[in-house]
Amino acid sequence: MATGTKTQTSPTTQAPPPKPKEGRGWLWSLLLGLLILGLVATVPFVGNAADLHNWTLIIMFAVLAQSWNFIGGFAGYSAFGNVVFFGIGAYTTGLILLANLPFWLGLIAGALVAGLFALLLGLPVLRLRGHYFAIATLGIAEAMREFVTVRDVGGGGGGLISLPLPSLDSYVLFFYAFLGLSLLCLLITVFLTRSRFGYALVAIRESEQAAEALGIPTYWHKVGVFVLSAVPAALAGGLYAYWATGFDPDTVFNVGISVEMVLLTFLGGAGTILGPLIGAIVFEYTSFQFQASGFTLHNTLLGLSIVIVTIFLPQGILRLIQEFARQPAPGERRANPFVEGVRRVRRFIAANGV
Amino acid sequence: MSFGQVLVNWLLLGSLYGAVALGFSLVWGIMNIVNLAYGALIIVGAYTAFWLYTDLHIDPYLGIPLTMAVLFIIGWIIQYVVINRVIRAPMLVTFLLTFGLDLLIIDLVQQFFTSDLRSINTAYAGNGIDIGSTHIPLPSLIAAAIAILLTAALNFFLTRTRIGNAILATGMDRDAARLMGISIRHTYALTFAIGAALAGAAGALLSQLYPFDPSEGGTFTLRAFVIVVLGGLGTPWGVIAGGLVFGLAETVFPLIPGVGPGYDDAIAFAVLVLVLIFRPNGLLGKPFYS
Repeated sequence: MATGTKTQTSPTTQAPPPKPKEGRGWLWSLLLGLLILGLVATVPFVGNAADLHNWTLIIMFAVLAQSWNFIGGFAGYSAFGNVVFFGIGAYTTGLILLANLPFWLGLIAGALVAGLFALLLGLPVLRLRGHYFAIATLGIAEAMREFVTVRDVGGGGGGLISLPLPSLDSYVLFFYAFLGLSLLCLLITVFLTRSRFGYALVAIRESEQAAEALGIPTYWHKVGVFVLSAVPAALAGGLYAYWATGFDPDTVFNVGISVEMVLLTFLGGAGTILGPLIGAIVFEYTSFQFQASGFTLHNTLLGLSIVIVTIFLPQGILRLIQEFARQPAPGERRANPFVEGVRRVRRFIAANGV
Repeated sequence: MSFGQVLVNWLLLGSLYGAVALGFSLVWGIMNIVNLAYGALIIVGAYTAFWLYTDLHIDPYLGIPLTMAVLFIIGWIIQYVVINRVIRAPMLVTFLLTFGLDLLIIDLVQQFFTSDLRSINTAYAGNGIDIGSTHIPLPSLIAAAIAILLTAALNFFLTRTRIGNAILATGMDRDAARLMGISIRHTYALTFAIGAALAGAAGALLSQLYPFDPSEGGTFTLRAFVIVVLGGLGTPWGVIAGGLVFGLAETVFPLIPGVGPGYDDAIAFAVLVLVLIFRPNGLLGKPFYS
């Protein structure tokens, strides 16, 4: 919240609706994002091989969450099958590598194929809304996994692909490639918060009918952002393919990854610049700490986190901090900061209950 | 395979699918929640029946009411403790939450029962009735009969009892129902509990017909969704109709040259998109509760 302004909001029982950043908020978010990525970039110098492995995956999930944020956070469309683009990117790159063609060609081909697939898929399914859209996207991911398995696309039995191993020091390169991709997604997100295209997406999220009435071609905006969210996911899939060197349909078309994208975005704050990045770092880092301590039930952890986040943090960490730091409205009695903060958070939570 | 045999197989499969989607349709219609944990509840039902049969030696058909009771309690707790807290949140939140529950439940089932493929084989599982060249397997016939019975019971409960009417009223208008003195909190918990009990019954029926393992939950959720879309959200009988249509699609699609077996989810998805493009409210459906 800008501090100098005199604008004051009346006390409401509901949490303030998500709104685009005002003033210079976006600049601070961008700088903070660059700072976070800059700090993460030091991992190869200060950490060991295990740290590098973990942080590569953390940043990969950050990219996936950031790309989901375009369609889910900005346009408000609950795409639950975005893992399909990750898988398509991985398989396209894998097949190109198996044909002894260069890796960069595989990445580009993966992005193109996934983008085209998103366009062709988006044309029918983006006419659907709400539950129907969500299930249709979930269904395509399941159907694709089944198709790749039954047709044995990878040629290794059940769709399995095995690639030649990349040399060991190139793991650092993969890490920086993921980091660069995350930076790209950050810049796209900032662009979305500052451009007509992004405003139109937020308008669609808040009320699609009103957006349509304002003359926004909502359908084509939705198709556009669907493709936009598919391409980074496919690039991440292509990088993952060569980094992991072997994968099967159950790994790269795992619907759990889709859900993880959604969770990470929600945890940080959907529709914000930094939300997906922060959510990914917080959750995945915690998850790796659990794994290191011998707790192997990843899905239990994921499920429990989802339950906790959806009940207690439906607006994400960032908005929770904003709510804590908010100036008290006129007539609002100011208790000590901690009690006041807890009261605000409880109001935040109670808004969704019966 | 004779035409009569295909017809019998289709009718038995379709009725069973109706039973699979019954509880899903109830929860969606009344609370506007797409319960993605539904498949996981079916799996819990199947494993409960399996456990009752192998460890306590209770006949699987006698085990169905017990399974339903167990799932009823689980469903009540899930709704009362968890889902009631986000019921007014945007659809995406409840969707995500139920998916989280699905992951959690499946992981726990895997811990308790391992991920081995299981099946229930009773002494009479191989019996059947033969009419001419048409063979009607006894377990499938009983399963279809129970499916029809459950549908009739649910229909009777919703339309003829006071509690059922309260559930319907809550589904039509939450605030008006509250003004009539209905406790929304308890009605929702009861609705979800009944939905879970029906999932348990479906799981117990399926466990006697097919081998199962914990990873199959998602497939059942997707199928239940498609069946409900086909039948519409109107009445329990619509679900049976949806089940029959979906059973037909699953019987016919693999016969198309070049397709072959193994594409269950792809078929479900194809049917879903085709129907939604042409009939956004479902094949027989009307937007009844919304």
